[in-house]
Amino acid sequence: MEEWVGERWHRFIWRAADRSFAHAAVRLEEVQRAVQLLFRAGGGDPLVRVAPASAEKVGGPRSWLQKLAGQGERASIGTLDEQTLALPPVIAVFADAALNRDLYLWLAAQAACHVATPAGWLADNLAATRRALACFPGLRTRYARLLQAHLAQRPAPERLQGTPRELERAIQAALRASLDGVDAGRDTTPPAAREPCAPQDQGASLDGRARQPASVAPVWLWLQAMQTAVGPSATAPEADAADGAPPRPQQQPTPQDPKRRRAQRTEDTSSKHGLVMFFRAESILSWSEFVRVNRTADDEDNQDYSQVADDMQELALAPRKPGETLAARIKFDLDLPSAAADDLPVGEGEPLPEWDYQRGLLLPEHCRAQRLRHRAASPDAIDSEAAGAVPALEKRLKTTSRQVRRRFEALRAAPRWQHGLTQGEELDLDAWVRHQVDRRDVAHRHVEAPAVYARRARSERSLSSLMLADLSLSTDAYARPGARVIDLVRDSLFVFGNALDAVGDPFEMLGFSSVRRAVRIHELKRFGERWNDAARERVAAIKPGFYTRMGAAIRYGTQRLAARPERQRLLLILSDGKPNDLDHYEGRHGLEDTRHAVHAARQAGLVPFCVTIDQQANAYLPRLFGTQGFALVHRPEQLARALTQVYVRLTAAVR
Amino acid sequence: MDRTDTSPATTPFYAEQAGECRLFEHAFRQRLPVLLKGPTGCGKTRFVEHMAARLGRPLVTVSCHDDLTAADLVGRFLIGDGNTVWNDGPLARAVRTGAICYLDEVVEARKDTTVVLHPLADDRRVLPIERTGELLQATPEFMLVVSYNPGYQNLLKNLKPSTRQRFVALVFDYPRPEVEQRIIETEAGADAALSARLIKLATALRRLIDQDLEETVSTRLLVVAARLIVSGLPPLTACRAAIVDALTDDLDTASALDQVVQAVLSHDA
Repeated sequence: MEEWVGERWHRFIWRAADRSFAHAAVRLEEVQRAVQLLFRAGGGDPLVRVAPASAEKVGGPRSWLQKLAGQGERASIGTLDEQTLALPPVIAVFADAALNRDLYLWLAAQAACHVATPAGWLADNLAATRRALACFPGLRTRYARLLQAHLAQRPAPERLQGTPRELERAIQAALRASLDGVDAGRDTTPPAAREPCAPQDQGASLDGRARQPASVAPVWLWLQAMQTAVGPSATAPEADAADGAPPRPQQQPTPQDPKRRRAQRTEDTSSKHGLVMFFRAESILSWSEFVRVNRTADDEDNQDYSQVADDMQELALAPRKPGETLAARIKFDLDLPSAAADDLPVGEGEPLPEWDYQRGLLLPEHCRAQRLRHRAASPDAIDSEAAGAVPALEKRLKTTSRQVRRRFEALRAAPRWQHGLTQGEELDLDAWVRHQVDRRDVAHRHVEAPAVYARRARSERSLSSLMLADLSLSTDAYARPGARVIDLVRDSLFVFGNALDAVGDPFEMLGFSSVRRAVRIHELKRFGERWNDAARERVAAIKPGFYTRMGAAIRYGTQRLAARPERQRLLLILSDGKPNDLDHYEGRHGLEDTRHAVHAARQAGLVPFCVTIDQQANAYLPRLFGTQGFALVHRPEQLARALTQVYVRLTAAVR
Repeated sequence: MDRTDTSPATTPFYAEQAGECRLFEHAFRQRLPVLLKGPTGCGKTRFVEHMAARLGRPLVTVSCHDDLTAADLVGRFLIGDGNTVWNDGPLARAVRTGAICYLDEVVEARKDTTVVLHPLADDRRVLPIERTGELLQATPEFMLVVSYNPGYQNLLKNLKPSTRQRFVALVFDYPRPEVEQRIIETEAGADAALSARLIKLATALRRLIDQDLEETVSTRLLVVAARLIVSGLPPLTACRAAIVDALTDDLDTASALDQVVQAVLSHDA
């Protein structure tokens, strides 16, 4: 009963106090594409992703009703760092939905022109506004409307006291000044090349702040810059090399939480000496301070971490102490296989380079690719799982296999006219006229069989393909109930192998995974080998493990495929997501390295194509493979279409 | 398929980007064949027309397509009056008359065409006509110009190195903003304010190449849009028709691009 009353009261008071305009709310998803395009068109970094921002503490006066409801304390504010443009998930600031929509677009434009300088939050935003208005003169009217509406909402400085009053004055003056002095359409130099214009009347306390001061009401039109984002953990010490424990396999679909959260790296100083306890009553911590709760070491298992993360102002990420890993506390199902049980290494490892985008150079011999071969079960060992796997796959994928094979055969059989033949189904008029001319020449008078016919014939093909299948541990996740990603990968390999075998094109299949700089290349089927039961068994036996160093795998595949004599060479990558590995190989570094590898493959005359299962792939794959260079697959049935699509494109391009 | 402009009334307008006119003239005098590379709509064809008029040579243009054979270029026998008559193709005609022969998008043509180009493109400068047994020596004024677009979709259709190395290469890109602005003003009769806006739009849209768009807005599209605006259409309508819908078929992308266009082309000005 108490709970019921509480809930009712909460709902009532929340609605009564709510000053946002729910009926005019615009969601980020509705405008995401426009925001992305506008951001990049304005000169924003193409690798910055647009994501919903988390709520944080904001200031500004609140009505008594809001105080009573506990409302207005937290809001999402647009934030920009070198990896993410975080925008509020919903904007309901103005009563007019068109204004709310314009606010999103304005924030995109502002972000594109934003350059973080030591001058601080206010000066940077003012400079960005001027640049954005110069870059997009068409936004001027809309910006003026937004500004007017926003100024009307801002608290009057006269009603404030102390520092907030000064800050509010400075902000309002800057906002009013932002429309002046912009000579529409003069400024075309890129934002990075310019000095920020400093505002004249800037409150002294606003100097050098990267973030909005917590005591003022949020300025919806402006962004906060995050200068030191928690990036690909360059600062994190590498855990010792012997620690190769794979992450915990996921039995359920991973809860996708793209929300961008504030985080900082700290030292985990939590003391292990539980009995020595200092407590001083006056130092009770508030939420806004760093609370030393190690979330990964928390006792409760069923906590909703994303809810906790939402409630926190800032997440503190502490580096693991040397020798202490999560694996030490949680039992893992999978472990590094012992040398005897591991796949057989084949040959020496090959050194591969890696692209470092920050330094803009290719690091030679940075990784090492080791080829491996599945250890076939000895004949007397009864491995029921492996034995039944191939026929089961065969049976399950019969329809899809047949479909793809038929399509491939149809493509292959696309007939073309061959001219100048001694026999054929049609007369080749051109050749006939030529023959008539030649006949006047004595030497050619008696031609037994004049070559004057044309015939439709199959054209010759010269195509080889190499499939690179991602076997990292993330493929153990469920793509949908009842089907793990690895199953989809296995199905794809199987269907494609059957189809290619039927049309007789040479192909190779490799699986890849990695542990730091050691890249494991699993040989499933080599170019020279036949697509026989042994090869199929190897495909059926693939299992997930380790990480995804995609760039190195692509480079290895490129080497193999570039040595082939065929005219068309297809490099097909089956993956479930972004490149990542234990070291700094994640985030932007991984993407840039993969992109570099894909470019190199293209330069070598190959056609790289990616088939992916990642729902978020649209955000980054175009950057890696080009808009036409990838396909998204959700179900095995879609494989037929996606794979044929690649072939159609290839065969249509070359005549 | 082919077109011969014998005496252009006036020299077609061309805004030079980086000394390419001078290079072309020298190549012409040294009797060297020229290869033009560049994205679609950046002014390759117009450049050749301009140079032909400047050098006072007739221009034979052949737009290559994937069914273009060597016979289409060199010539063939036709039946007439109970007999067969040899008919020169555009290339043979250009070689005989000393014209500039321009093969547009040469990678589109069938592979056998490159065979007839090879002896013409090196120092022999001969066109063997296999069917009549004639070995046609090119006149000193004859010049061979080919163009191709090394874009994304042509990745598989590249020129063979043996072909490519016979040509003097000229690389084209979209002109610098100030040159492009002059082009729009001259070609479409647009005023400075309108052309400056369109250049700004082009700059924004060209940043979207690779990730969001496969092909970006060309000078030709900008001129088309400017002409529509000058003739009285509202700028947003003109840009939607001439630029946005020409760049993408995807409705989602189109409406997002529309937002970019709106953000750049102010409607209150």
